[in-house]
Amino acid sequence: MTLTVALTIALLLVVTGMALALADGGVTSEDDADVTVVPEGTGTISTVDGVEGPQLGATNERAETIGDADEIDHASPVLIERVRLASADGDGEPRTILVVGVVPDDDPRTVAGLSTDGLEPADPHYGDGTYDGPRQREIVLSTAAADRLGATEGESLAVAGLEVPEAAAASSAVTVTAVENGPDDDENEAPVALVHLSELQTASGAADGELADRVLVWGDEDAAVDAAGEAYPDAAVETDRATDPSALFDDGLAFATSLLALLVGLTICTSFVATTAGMTVDEDRRTLAVLESIGFPTHSRLVVVGLSTVVTTLCGALLGAGLGVASIELLNVVAASTVASGTVAQAHPLFVPYAVVVGVVSGLVAVPYPLAIAARTSVLQEVGR
Amino acid sequence: MFGRSRRPTAGTRAHDCEESTPAVRLEGVGHEYGAGGDRSVTALRDVSLSVRTGEVVGLKGPSGSGKSTILHAVAGLLVPTEGTVALLGTDLTDRSDRTRTRLRRHHVGIVFQRFHLLPSLSARANVALPLVQTGVGRSNRRDRAEKLLEEVGLADRTTHLPGELSGGERQRVALARALAADPDVIVADEPTGELDTATGSDVLELLTDVGRDGGRAVLVASHDEATLSVADRVVPLRDGRVVTDGG
Repeated sequence: MTLTVALTIALLLVVTGMALALADGGVTSEDDADVTVVPEGTGTISTVDGVEGPQLGATNERAETIGDADEIDHASPVLIERVRLASADGDGEPRTILVVGVVPDDDPRTVAGLSTDGLEPADPHYGDGTYDGPRQREIVLSTAAADRLGATEGESLAVAGLEVPEAAAASSAVTVTAVENGPDDDENEAPVALVHLSELQTASGAADGELADRVLVWGDEDAAVDAAGEAYPDAAVETDRATDPSALFDDGLAFATSLLALLVGLTICTSFVATTAGMTVDEDRRTLAVLESIGFPTHSRLVVVGLSTVVTTLCGALLGAGLGVASIELLNVVAASTVASGTVAQAHPLFVPYAVVVGVVSGLVAVPYPLAIAARTSVLQEVGR
Repeated sequence: MFGRSRRPTAGTRAHDCEESTPAVRLEGVGHEYGAGGDRSVTALRDVSLSVRTGEVVGLKGPSGSGKSTILHAVAGLLVPTEGTVALLGTDLTDRSDRTRTRLRRHHVGIVFQRFHLLPSLSARANVALPLVQTGVGRSNRRDRAEKLLEEVGLADRTTHLPGELSGGERQRVALARALAADPDVIVADEPTGELDTATGSDVLELLTDVGRDGGRAVLVASHDEATLSVADRVVPLRDGRVVTDGG
């Protein structure tokens, strides 16, 4: 019974972990900004089928405005594009990586899990909206991206795919200025890269309208919220984007997924516990009969059955929590080496109490069945055998 | 060996009633399994017998003669459909389940043919088990269980699981368990049924010591003549009736 419960709970945690990863937004949201401005309602649409979600407009100009406000250190739009890159000398297969465009400043910032330190400060190609300034042609690769492309520091890469306009592709060769280990080893498995924002906007067609997926603001949090709210009154200003389970409630699809997983998990878990506990009690009828014969009253025997059911379920839940977290790690490893570009499921410390609560609730819902079987045990039939 | 501590019993004290009231008295007891239904089976008909403290009484008869039913009635595990079953002067037939369970816990020890020890508990834990419900503290339970195991000759087997013991040793553990709550009455249903002759003889010796030296009433059901030979008297049963009472 313990193993059955453990497997069910593990499955529940894997699905919940996937929902959490959906809500979190993945590796590209790994940054050290104090405030993030995102378009309202991005999560659901972009995570359903990969269709590009709503973006923010006039981001370069407004980020500058935000950055100039008091107590704000820096503000940068962030544009994320899937780009097929290959070695500029024609060696190696073109590979798809996530390229993140940012505006670096003099201080090293973390965006998409990578430090902006490898990029020259400022974004001269933007040229106050003309997009005709000099290109820096720099790219910072994550270790995974470098591995995937077979590139090292100092090598040139060129856009190879059809996912950006071809005209732009021809003039978009970049030089690897750094291969970075991000702050979190797990996230390093995602092949991501940093480039100057305006160069990516030009390459992807986002220059028209100065589009970006989000704007990051560093500085005093209250001041950043005020400045960001002023620049983008209709956008969502987030101050706490740590991967915590409350993110599930902010994202419709992720919430529905996790809720469905919870309902299915509870139902399956309860069914398993009821069935297996019932079978166990049926096998233990003789023990119950012996307890009665030596003077254990009915309520004591039922307490024994109830407690053993709930405790066994609890053990299964704890085992399932460990199994679930391990499965999430395994899933990420398998996904990263096959189909996904980053983390597909995320574990969280709260998963352990969550698993325990689900296990206990399942045990409590299921316990009347074994209790009924125990109560119907005939001592005379059992000890007479 | 098997000396007893005297304590209050079911409404009186055992030593007060040893001479006057039998420890067990059945009067006009009849029992029908599935009473009232089409498939009812009559197990006992008008059975009357008594067992005094310190006496070992054998119940003799073939399968289906009602031996086990009498033992179950004395232990309060079933309520006969007719007659009265008095344990230390208290009629069990008009008591609630809860009261019968309490009386059994304090005054009756049961020895089964197939031992019925809990396989996952050590010999000591099996012996101490009846004391859990009586509220005896953990260390006292251990002491009591070890003392009883020593008395039945298993001092070196206290931590063994039932699966690690021979049949004779298991039955001795079962006997020690039956004695854990210092009962006034011991009922044993085919106590040597699973044992070879020599081992069975050892167990019977212990059982009779428990009765005679320990001042308890012992009721032994068996169809084996050798087993019944240790009894002070034997009550033959056939088809649920007492054929004759040797006492």
